[in-house]
Amino acid sequence: MDNINKDKYFVEKIETMSNQKIADCYQCGRCTAGCPFAEFMDEPPNRIIRFIQLGMKEDVMKTQGPWFCAACLVCQSRCPRGVDIPRLMEAVRTIHLRAKEQILDVDKIDKELLLDAHPLVLMSALYKYSY
Amino acid sequence: MKIPYYPGCDLYTKAKPLNTSIQASFKALDVELKEMANWYCCGTTFTLARDNRMSLIAPLRILAKAQKENGSVIVPCSICYNTLKRANFIFQEDAETLKILNEHLSENYDCREKIVHPFEFLRDNKELLKSRLKKNLKDIKLGCYYGCYLLRPQKEMQFDDPESPTIIEEFVSLLGATPVGFPLKVECCGSFLIVNSPDAAIDASYRILKNARGEGAEAMITSCPLCHYNLDTLQKRIAFKHPNFKSMPIFYFSQILAIALDIPPEYWGLEQNKISPADFLKEHNLT
Repeated sequence: MDNINKDKYFVEKIETMSNQKIADCYQCGRCTAGCPFAEFMDEPPNRIIRFIQLGMKEDVMKTQGPWFCAACLVCQSRCPRGVDIPRLMEAVRTIHLRAKEQILDVDKIDKELLLDAHPLVLMSALYKYSY
Repeated sequence: MKIPYYPGCDLYTKAKPLNTSIQASFKALDVELKEMANWYCCGTTFTLARDNRMSLIAPLRILAKAQKENGSVIVPCSICYNTLKRANFIFQEDAETLKILNEHLSENYDCREKIVHPFEFLRDNKELLKSRLKKNLKDIKLGCYYGCYLLRPQKEMQFDDPESPTIIEEFVSLLGATPVGFPLKVECCGSFLIVNSPDAAIDASYRILKNARGEGAEAMITSCPLCHYNLDTLQKRIAFKHPNFKSMPIFYFSQILAIALDIPPEYWGLEQNKISPADFLKEHNLT
């Protein structure tokens, strides 16, 4: 319980960046049920939202979950409370990236992929994964 | 008829076949796609952080340019279509952002430009398309794959139903072929996750291809260069992971359109496909 509401500005920051009200989520779990990539996340989308609701900054910033969000918006279109979950994921990613924490090292991108992939693929990945 | 046309970067590099086939197809419909002057990249995936206006600069410039041309702009790439439409939605809803960007860029965009996808254009010009069809695509079963960008978020895209869309099926039926809708036609292909988490993209693409095959599809059509890349290129790696996997050719919708309009093969651009559609085309006497 030590992690709860340690940083009172954290929730506010996420809400401003995502333009969402975090209390709107009533934890039905439909986002996680439909997420094509939930199985790859260490914490699934609804748990990450719960962390944010409780102001558990350390847990939110520790999970790798948001990096697996492809912003496909399936959860957004199914959420019964109209929460735009990918915006919350993007907010978490953006906080990381603005603190200069990136998960993509351009020099380490697979060489075959670099030659083969559409510029769209690489550009999108660079936007989402690096600063 | 002359219509402003925004190709986007990918259509000049890796998605060239989409560009050549759509231009040739529309020409056969007596529609000239007039490429916008001095267009540039739309910024690819739309930024979801609302405290960042940088990502709206490129869309505003593009739309301001488009407005100076006559009529709605045609955008065939799903990602550009999504980015421009979502940005336009913000300009319509958020007068302050529009004002700041207009002042900053010395533009005078009034947020009224309409962005049209070829699927919408062809749906609205059914009779024209029907009158120009030359090849019989009967008995060809085409999986209709939408992906994410055309459909979601529905409030901003206003394209079709986000869970059970039918616009691509209608397009395929118009060509005389048999559309195959399948449950995962609206699911994500893995998108840019291929760069950093290839397993996630391989699994997602496998699920989609398997589902389409299970519903009877022999080939798949899409309008998204990113989906085309994942679904086509990753089949080699899927087959490595799942030995019983049967590969399937992936087409841009415009390539099938070009075939139906009997446009010469040099405009199809099928030689870029990793999974060769040669056998499929031969089987159906389309070469």
